[in-house]
Amino acid sequence: MTSVPSDPPASRFRLSEDDKPIVVAASFIVIILAIGTAYTLSTQGTATLLSPQYLLQQLQVGAFLGIVAAGMMLVILLGHIDLSVPWTIAAAAMMATTVGGPAAIPVGLAVGLLVGLVNGMGVAYLRIPSMIFTLGVNAVMRGLMVAHTGGFAPQTAATDLMQYLAVGKILGIPVALLVWAAVSIGVMVLLQRTSFGKSIYAIGNKEAAAYLAGVPTKRMIIGAFCLCGMAAGLAGTLLAGYSTKAYQGMGDAYLLPAIAAVVIGGTHILGGRGRYIGTLIGVILIVLLNSVLSIMQMPEAGRQVIYGSVIIGMLLVYGRGRKVTS
Amino acid sequence: MDAETRVASAPHVTLDGVTKRYGGVTALDSVDFACRLGSIHAVLGENGAGKSTLIKIMSGVVQPDEGEIRLDGKPMTFAHPAAANAKGIVCIFQELSLMSDLSVADNISISDPPRRFGLIDRKAQRRRAEQLLARIGCEDVNPLSRVRDLPLSRRQMVEIAKALAKEPTVLILDEATSALTAADVDTVFGILRRLRDDGISILTISHRMHEIEAVADRCSVFRNGRHIETFDQGARTEGEIVQMMIGREISAHFPPKPPPPEVATPMLQLSGYSWENRLKSIDLSVGAGEIVGLGGLDGQGQKELLLGLFGVLKDVSGTVTVQGKTVKIKSPQDAKKAGVDLALIPEDRKTEGLMLPMSIADNLTIASLSRLSAGPFVNPAAMTAAVEDGIKRMQIKVGSEFDPVSTLSGGNQQKVVIAKWLMTDPKIVLLNDPTRGIDVGTKQEIYRLLRDLAETGAAIILYSTDYEELIGCCDRVAVMYDGQIVRELAGAEITERNIIASALNMDEAAA
Repeated sequence: MTSVPSDPPASRFRLSEDDKPIVVAASFIVIILAIGTAYTLSTQGTATLLSPQYLLQQLQVGAFLGIVAAGMMLVILLGHIDLSVPWTIAAAAMMATTVGGPAAIPVGLAVGLLVGLVNGMGVAYLRIPSMIFTLGVNAVMRGLMVAHTGGFAPQTAATDLMQYLAVGKILGIPVALLVWAAVSIGVMVLLQRTSFGKSIYAIGNKEAAAYLAGVPTKRMIIGAFCLCGMAAGLAGTLLAGYSTKAYQGMGDAYLLPAIAAVVIGGTHILGGRGRYIGTLIGVILIVLLNSVLSIMQMPEAGRQVIYGSVIIGMLLVYGRGRKVTS
Repeated sequence: MDAETRVASAPHVTLDGVTKRYGGVTALDSVDFACRLGSIHAVLGENGAGKSTLIKIMSGVVQPDEGEIRLDGKPMTFAHPAAANAKGIVCIFQELSLMSDLSVADNISISDPPRRFGLIDRKAQRRRAEQLLARIGCEDVNPLSRVRDLPLSRRQMVEIAKALAKEPTVLILDEATSALTAADVDTVFGILRRLRDDGISILTISHRMHEIEAVADRCSVFRNGRHIETFDQGARTEGEIVQMMIGREISAHFPPKPPPPEVATPMLQLSGYSWENRLKSIDLSVGAGEIVGLGGLDGQGQKELLLGLFGVLKDVSGTVTVQGKTVKIKSPQDAKKAGVDLALIPEDRKTEGLMLPMSIADNLTIASLSRLSAGPFVNPAAMTAAVEDGIKRMQIKVGSEFDPVSTLSGGNQQKVVIAKWLMTDPKIVLLNDPTRGIDVGTKQEIYRLLRDLAETGAAIILYSTDYEELIGCCDRVAVMYDGQIVRELAGAEITERNIIASALNMDEAAA
């Protein structure tokens, strides 16, 4: 940070600077629910949105996005990005259904791990900007999958375990939600309690300083990309379970929302700061926004416009309180 | 030297009752200050004394809460730096503001390039750069070369040329010489005197007393946001000035050196150490308990030597022996491994030493994560203990250890960098200009610490651009020239004259 003119009276506002986006996003969730409920009350006379079943169902759908966003957050915290997520999801789903049997889920995760490894090596060792490298990897994965399936939806089906994890319930709670919770706990522990997590923040803030402090920066970068790839792979296998099969382009709808959820949750897009709880709230916000818009029977075009505007608008709100420094 | 007319000359820039607060901190407290036309005016004070705020207000970077600025008697308000520039007030800040991938000519004309038909006239731009560089005696700098390829001292000259392109009547320099070697400082002073004689008022901030003595006509001392006194250079002794700055007695600038140690086993030994054409077959040996200084002009390979030792440079040749064992250090991770136990205090704490937005605690522990962890998990109790210990050991002034390290003053930030490495229990400490831009009090604490470390058996290599520091701190000084060690000075040989003579690789140095 080159000396910024007005030094902030930092210590007192430090906490709120990281927490502010989280509070804003959480309040926005309340607003979305209020508007949606007002709408359903006036049209149907019921508060559908507030019923536990409905919310659980939304969270179940949100779990896939949440798992992708959890991985994405690790990479964004480093100051990088992973644009290979869409076809990592599809590839993991397709490979899992192709192999089938008990090996299906491990194969899906392995596909994600492999993609993450390639991404990480490219970024850490070849020093290619992640935005370009992962975009390239995404295209390669897509080509490989088209070659694998001949361009058609694969005829193979998801295994029972995959379907159970995606749509099953334990005591009325969707299993997908529990998987998301497990991933979330894992990421939170990782970020707060491990040297890996501390190093991720350090690298995202100032890679040179972290390197000179003897942090194994290359290994950390590769590790974060691997975890992001595995998260996408897990999401892919669950998604295949949800729709009982894999299909072309099944991951396309997850890239932008995953990045948006992370950023709406207050993670700095250039890396170094952000809390996982924010990402969780970001995911919930996006899922509820989508579902309220669909309840209101907003046409697709309008939904896209509102959806995009909300993301930009929230970032503007955050941007005002933050210094733009490099 | 028509000193009398200058002394009698009218105030050029005046501040009346200027106050500036940042939150609860009063950076400037109703300051009255005047800078006379055509004089070189030095502003002195410890870090946090309000010097930086003073020049930020004068150059329009921040606006005062109270009081007013007058230029030639007329009240002014500067909403932003460009407004101040337009009135002829131009500032050269401590951090270099050049864009390293643009050419020298591009940088000099960056804010107002000469245009032709609305497009940048590259020829005119180059001519302008040539003229300005010639004006400050830097004809050797090619206007078309990239700033990245210039050594730091040349970049500082380009910075001055860039400021002159704005045709200033008031030129403000914030620590502009802190990265320069003595020879370059002399060049800069020559330039300043010439500019003064051209009628430009110059305001300079420096922590180096001898530089102020060499160049300033007037001095002002600031302490805790207040203007203490302004006097003609020479009217106060160095001791009196230091007293005004810190408000307490300083007994000695440097801790006493112990007698030269017995010939002990060397802690670190280099032979035939080379890298590209920047380091040429260097032989150096540093014993336990010894502080060895690296001297010489800027850019003679001193920094490369430290970085190479720390494993940052690729393809170095020659042998490095640490504690009797030959080692290959390929990365900072290798360097801090047990058995090697190196630590490097890097040159630029803001980009290489610290993650500024992160907390003091995170910054302190980042080099010791593995020893504060059990498996992949960090041990919070060990972490807290280590942080407390580090803060106490270096006497870092912190509110809370969870505040971002960017909230600390420069001196305390540097203490965090040092404390971070002390936590790894290094046996060999490499320091790359550790006191650059740091207040006198902290400097002395660092000198004391280096001596203490040496007394516990560590080997220390100190590169400094400040000769005073090499003379005061080091048991031996290895003077580098063109990638080689041209002379090693020990004991009473360590004098400014010897260092400078060797730095210029003059034959009579040996005499």
